[in-house]
Amino acid sequence: MSEPTGVIHDIGYRHYEGVRLGRRHAAVALAVHSLRGVFGLGRTARAKIIPFLLVGVMMLPAVVSIAVMALLQREAMTYPSYAVTMQAVLAIFLASQSPYTVAPDLRFRVLPLYLSRPVTLGDYVGAKLAAMITAMFLLLAVPLTVLYIGELIIDMPGPPHTSAYLTSMAGAVVYAALLACVGVAIASFTPRRGLGVASVIAFYLLTSAVSAIIAATMEETNNYAASSWAWLINPFFLVDAAVQVGLFGAAPSAPGAYPPGAGVVVALLLVAGLIALSVTALILRYRKAASR
Amino acid sequence: MTILATEGLTRRFPRVTALDGLTVTVGPGVTGLVGANGAGKSTLIKILLGLLAPSAGGARVLGMDVTTQGAEIRRVVGYMPEHDCLPPDLSATEFTVHMGQMSGLPRTAARERAADVLRHVGLYEERYRAMGGYSTGMKQRVKLAQALVHDPRLILLDEPTNGLDPKGRDEMLGLIRRIGTEFGISVLVTSHLLGELERVCDHVIVIDAGRLLRSSSIAEFTQTTQTVAVEVEEGRDVLAARLTELGETAVPQGRALLVDIRAPETFDTLRDAVCDLDLCLIRVEQGRRRIEDVFREPADV
Repeated sequence: MSEPTGVIHDIGYRHYEGVRLGRRHAAVALAVHSLRGVFGLGRTARAKIIPFLLVGVMMLPAVVSIAVMALLQREAMTYPSYAVTMQAVLAIFLASQSPYTVAPDLRFRVLPLYLSRPVTLGDYVGAKLAAMITAMFLLLAVPLTVLYIGELIIDMPGPPHTSAYLTSMAGAVVYAALLACVGVAIASFTPRRGLGVASVIAFYLLTSAVSAIIAATMEETNNYAASSWAWLINPFFLVDAAVQVGLFGAAPSAPGAYPPGAGVVVALLLVAGLIALSVTALILRYRKAASR
Repeated sequence: MTILATEGLTRRFPRVTALDGLTVTVGPGVTGLVGANGAGKSTLIKILLGLLAPSAGGARVLGMDVTTQGAEIRRVVGYMPEHDCLPPDLSATEFTVHMGQMSGLPRTAARERAADVLRHVGLYEERYRAMGGYSTGMKQRVKLAQALVHDPRLILLDEPTNGLDPKGRDEMLGLIRRIGTEFGISVLVTSHLLGELERVCDHVIVIDAGRLLRSSSIAEFTQTTQTVAVEVEEGRDVLAARLTELGETAVPQGRALLVDIRAPETFDTLRDAVCDLDLCLIRVEQGRRRIEDVFREPADV
């Protein structure tokens, strides 16, 4: 007997007999959901404008460098200086997108729904951080990699700058970790997205301005040792000093030199300390939010 | 079969005791949890989800201990909170799929389940729109859908009819009834209104100030007396007088009369009385004693 096609049958409620995955799967799903959200995917068209605009701006130096290499056979930009040169763009991306990962869940009280699932508070915080770290890493690593591929294809005289590229990738990992942790931690203290954006950008402006002013003043008084320490106040120079210069011996990207010797150790400790402080602040923040 | 059971469950906060030695057992079907605001309903739900540790006593949900097996419980229990919990810039579909994945469903299964439950709760084309523009009724449906998406064995509904208009309230209650019967999922539903729970619950638990006032089946409440509600166009009092004369008990309630059924003959008496008096009969309805009446009596009777 042939059934007519295109008929919708109400087959009633069906039970789910398939697999049920555990906490890890849920945490990964949350991280992926947040990562997509950071770039505006699965959200309104308006939410896509800023992240993709900033991604475009981040790609510009890579594209220009490739053009310069192809036409003039000259290197235009070194890999480790990429993040420092583009620090304002990275800071704006961090400020505009990190509040999205945490603020709506607090403001619209989605958090209790997550906690009524198998994931724990630690999983939640971990997933949100992982999402933002991945986003920041992609934002930095994609143009660097495009630039490197460009360099390989153009095949300039002399060997490719592979070690500089790898140094910058190591730097990108630490940049992403430090910036995302600080950004998300600051943003988590307010359920309002606008306030979060303002707080994160204020953090960047404050540290970079204070760092530049102190360094300039110290240089005027010929106190070069003090000015080299002052650069570390800016998180972008801090990671440069700790990882790219300190561990991998790249040339400093700050206008002045970084503190040598023990300075590297201090810079590394500062990076680790800032990440630890941010994660602790986040966990305390969410303990309080969950108990409400 | 026991769905959940508490034993001397106590939860003290610095200022108040939210639950005070609560011992109840809940079986399958729809169970109402009634109490005034602050009676401890939400605290009980949090403990049952394993999100809040009891100060004393214990509880088991589907045979699992709430203090040690919280994560396992949360995999097979659904929760609909009382407050708003929907991000406005997502569509109902995306949100429900995401919540399904958060409960451990693989992505494709979550998609299928989300489509299914959204249809069951009565959301159709609008489920692709951002939830920011939804009415309260639609929001409540999405909140219910996300609690059902992983096909839980038990769902905890915290004040699901809050903020709904009478029509929305009826539809929500109808849905809850269907979940308990047709879907075969046990339901614990809280409310501060007894009347609405009467229509959907098999069993009602009443708590006050964290203590158990009563726990009994609806049938137990309502079978104690059987009444019919009789409504006539005019002459309600004449009919009452005639019935009393004939030895029946008739109490006016609003425009209707509540007549106690002593025996099947009461129906004949009633029919004859209406005919003899030549009244226009509007309705005769199987009336149940409302559970409010039961609880209006002292609890220790």
